[in-house]
Amino acid sequence: MATVEYNRIGKSFGAVNIMRDVSFRIEEHQFVVLLGPSGCGKTTLLRMTAGLETVSEGDLMIGGKRVNDVHPRDRDIAMVFQNYALYPTMKVYDNIAFSLEVAKVQTDEIKRRVEAAAEVLNLTPYLQRYPKELSGGQRQRVAMGRAMVREPSVFLFDEPLSNLDAKLRAHMRTEIRQLHNRLKTTTIYVTHDQIEAMTMADKIVVMRAGKIEQIGSPDEVYDTPASKYVADFIGSAAINFMPGTVVTGEGQPAVDTPNGRIRVLPGAAVKPGQKVICGIRPTDAVVSDDGPIRTRALLVERMGHDVQLCTAAPAGQFLAIVDRSRPFAEGVEVRFDAAPEKVHVFDAETEMRL
Amino acid sequence: MHQSRGIRTLRTIAGWLVVGVFFFPIYFWTTVAFRNAKDIFNWPPIFVDFEPTARNFEQVFGISLGFGFGAQEAVTPGGGNFYMAPRLWDSIVIASMSTVLAIVVATLAAYCLSRMHFRGRHEFVNWVLSTRMMPPVAVAVPMFFIFKQFSLLDTYLGVILVHGLMNLPLAVLLMKSFFDDIPSEIDESALLDGASRWTIFRRIVLPMAKGGIAATAVLCFIFSWTEFLFVLTLTQTSIKTVPVVSSTFVTSIGTAWGNMAALGAAAIVPAFIVIMLVQRHLVRGLTMGSLKQ
Ligand SMILES: Nc1ncnc2c1ncn2[C@@H]1O[C@H](COP(=O)(O)OP(=O)(O)O)[C@@H](O)[C@H]1O
Ligand SMILES: [Mg+2]
Repeated sequence: MATVEYNRIGKSFGAVNIMRDVSFRIEEHQFVVLLGPSGCGKTTLLRMTAGLETVSEGDLMIGGKRVNDVHPRDRDIAMVFQNYALYPTMKVYDNIAFSLEVAKVQTDEIKRRVEAAAEVLNLTPYLQRYPKELSGGQRQRVAMGRAMVREPSVFLFDEPLSNLDAKLRAHMRTEIRQLHNRLKTTTIYVTHDQIEAMTMADKIVVMRAGKIEQIGSPDEVYDTPASKYVADFIGSAAINFMPGTVVTGEGQPAVDTPNGRIRVLPGAAVKPGQKVICGIRPTDAVVSDDGPIRTRALLVERMGHDVQLCTAAPAGQFLAIVDRSRPFAEGVEVRFDAAPEKVHVFDAETEMRL
Repeated sequence: MHQSRGIRTLRTIAGWLVVGVFFFPIYFWTTVAFRNAKDIFNWPPIFVDFEPTARNFEQVFGISLGFGFGAQEAVTPGGGNFYMAPRLWDSIVIASMSTVLAIVVATLAAYCLSRMHFRGRHEFVNWVLSTRMMPPVAVAVPMFFIFKQFSLLDTYLGVILVHGLMNLPLAVLLMKSFFDDIPSEIDESALLDGASRWTIFRRIVLPMAKGGIAATAVLCFIFSWTEFLFVLTLTQTSIKTVPVVSSTFVTSIGTAWGNMAALGAAAIVPAFIVIMLVQRHLVRGLTMGSLKQ
């Protein structure tokens, strides 16, 4: 187990800079998820951590030691690649055993460890098969087994679930997290799927175009998104944005938007007249007969426990997830309100949280 | 795919026609090997209706086959002018050793060119290829003098070197494209697993490149088996390969077509065996299963 620390890391491919000033720290035993859209530099950051890519700027520390120039095999890191990269000419057993063989571990010790890993990952019946004889999910587990047997001090996962079907993905999500709870190996997990990030992470690092947008626990990034970008990225149902201008009405700051006057927290660092963007999550919108947001229901989607209302508001489409106790019909007027502490306010210019 | 009966029959006929076009010369050449001289240039040509003889083979291989087609002739002691059996052996040695040489060097070089990043890598590949752009005959005479200087004339080593080196550019290029097709994440996985470059090459990459090596080896072998110019210039009396000795059947008193055909037909056999052996490894999709689809 080790800590990993990124200290003002930058990366350029030739003259093209794709990452700059990335700094954060991963504590021992932590499960950190790097979250960001495709092309934002997640894989590159993982590859730099593993030593497969040079670090252009800054210091990379593993276990307190600077490892910028340490050879990949001396970093004690295991990585599960986005495409698994199993050894196709070796059986599952040999795939998993390879690192131990290379390290000249005793044969019976190798056998013990490979079988233990296979047991944990439910791979025991497949040890004598070739990778091409396995399903996608099984291959994914072989890739994990290969990383696990080495008992490395850091695990790196690069979008390991992105090619599995939805059900298997949900299953593997819990498996991986349970595995981590058992092994407690420091883990960096890369994904573009915010659900994976929210469900698995101790800490989420939200990335955008080679920079860090926000670092925090799943609750923190959900409850207090640092920017409009994070607010938009996190959350299953898309957050509703509306532009507006700050006014001070009745002693409490509020924002005048096309959707009406929306109250915000007195604590928010807003000045009267400032141009802002308000964000209200669909789950935070409450139906209220004298609420400021007047909408017309376009679509009523029953989701079992809740009802998702897709409505037309003056500022565009407005989405709300509400209790199903009230009957809704398409075409009727529905008015919404939101508690001031649930309204996220971002500067219209910088799109940063206020 | 559903096809009407007519189309299927047509396809079968077309297929057999193509096979026939390719197979006919081999058939005819082989029958020539079993004919007496008088039966070779008949007009109209005869295809099956001739009196078979083993004489051509007996002369070329210096043995008495003793199965009774036609008159059994005494084999000339010491082999005679047409005794060519050792030449077949020369061909086998040169073709297989030069193939081994080309494959070993090309595989190592191609792996480096595919995986290691060094200055001038792309230029290097082009330069390797450029050595095959001039006509071989342009270097044949200089080669003769160089080989003479190094006492390589008329030796196995000399011809093996020439054939091996001539095959290198193409072999390197072919092998490089096979290595390029193997995802580098597989190497990187092994690197993180603690393997050295050499271990990765030997245990991971080489087994995956088996099909590529087999294909390249077939090409190298056939090239050396049929190469004429350099064997002609760089050998004198002690070794000669089949293509060169075939030309010696053309003599001042006429061409010994029957003997030439006998040697030619016999020369198909070792090449055929090598290709069959190698072909078992020409399986595709060796990287299958490594990646998620
Ligand atoms: N070897 C490379 N050479 C040049 N550019 C690269 C290379 N690898 C990645 N990039 C660029 O770096 C950016 C980040 O890529 P990557 O780390 O793969 O993103 P992600 O994994 O988040 O999808 C992309 O714009 C990509 O084009
Ligand atoms: Mg990626």
